[in-house]
Amino acid sequence: MTVIQCEHLTKRYGKFHALNDVSLTIEGKKITGLIGRNGAGKTTLLKCIAGLYRKTSGELKVFGENPFNSLYVSENCIYVSDEMSFPATLSLEQLLDMASVFYKNWDAQLAKRLFDYFSLNPNQSHHRLSKGMKSTFNMIVGLASRCELTLFDEPTTGMDEAVRQDFYRAVLKDYLQNPRTIIISSHHLNEIEHLLEDVLVLKEGKPLLHIPMSELKEYAIGIQGDSLLVAEWCQNREVIFTKVIGSDKRYAVVKNHVTKSDIHRAKMEGLQVMPVSPSDLCVYLTNKRQGGIDDVFRKDELV
Amino acid sequence: MNIFQSDGTKPIYVQIAEWIENEILTEKLKTDEKVYSQYQLAEMFNINPATAGKGLSLLNEEEILYKKRGLGMFVAKGAKERIVNKRKNETLKQLIAELVLEADRLNIGEEELFEMIRIARFGRKEGKK
Repeated sequence: MTVIQCEHLTKRYGKFHALNDVSLTIEGKKITGLIGRNGAGKTTLLKCIAGLYRKTSGELKVFGENPFNSLYVSENCIYVSDEMSFPATLSLEQLLDMASVFYKNWDAQLAKRLFDYFSLNPNQSHHRLSKGMKSTFNMIVGLASRCELTLFDEPTTGMDEAVRQDFYRAVLKDYLQNPRTIIISSHHLNEIEHLLEDVLVLKEGKPLLHIPMSELKEYAIGIQGDSLLVAEWCQNREVIFTKVIGSDKRYAVVKNHVTKSDIHRAKMEGLQVMPVSPSDLCVYLTNKRQGGIDDVFRKDELV
Repeated sequence: MNIFQSDGTKPIYVQIAEWIENEILTEKLKTDEKVYSQYQLAEMFNINPATAGKGLSLLNEEEILYKKRGLGMFVAKGAKERIVNKRKNETLKQLIAELVLEADRLNIGEEELFEMIRIARFGRKEGKK
């Protein structure tokens, strides 16, 4: 079942196109990772889906409805981010009680258990929490609301390593028990890749890739070795990234149209063939600039 | 439990398939025995159930597992032999090619290489005792 459908969706802030002609479909009951650089449009997309932002043009359907001003969508969708604001006069415990009124599938037991596990203080108020504690509390609300469509926008901001891992495990376990549509945006693909079924990569307001995680893993391969040999290898292949190593060596990432025997031959020629981690691959794919950070520091040499 | 490296050389679903193959090789899973479901595997290895499912269907395609509708996956007859054959003809051959290549780079002669293999095998058996 299709939960989210966009066609030519555009969201403009003044002249800036935060989302530029986005067409995509997200099927139900999947965990999708939303990946992109700063300013790629991840938050804008999620807020449009949640009905918090009004689209500028194009078509956007969530559960078959325009999400903006849709009661059905706000009832069945939760958007979790560090911007979540709660009434300052209520304690955390009262906030959880309130949430149970808003969300019909609210799992009070899960909320309570997570709350105790992460040692939150029921009498504290939300705005007094540390950054990581805030994220933890928001995550608890996000999971316990058990909305058919759950959107986590950089949910682990400020969480320490142990809490992050617990969080991801909690998402997976709860998803196994209650399969639903989950989108997690993150800068850290390596942290969430094991959780994901699909991955959606945004670049400058447009989807660059929207494929199963397992395909992303095999999307490209890295070749390293003698510059000439590598260059020869790259001919007639789609090169995604390349960099010089030392004086006569080169590393190249090419799109994977490579057979097992190709790889075997390359190895025999003395080239190193290695997989490219999805997280590195996304960095290469979404790079806006020519060259890398090294070039910034090369200024002096050019003059 | 997290025995899989997500940055590793192999896709996770292949690692899942190999893990199940190992369970069959060591006879922890026997012919006609029910194999873990994709949800059990997801829970055990902390991965998306679709990934686990892909590992299972890979083994189904290779006729190492068979499907009983609504009941799950089971170990096929002759699964163990099929795995042994596959690994011998593909994995082991490739590993040996790479081993020989590295030995050549280091100028290690055949006798010395055999000796190293013998020592490694001996060490393994000693370790098992």
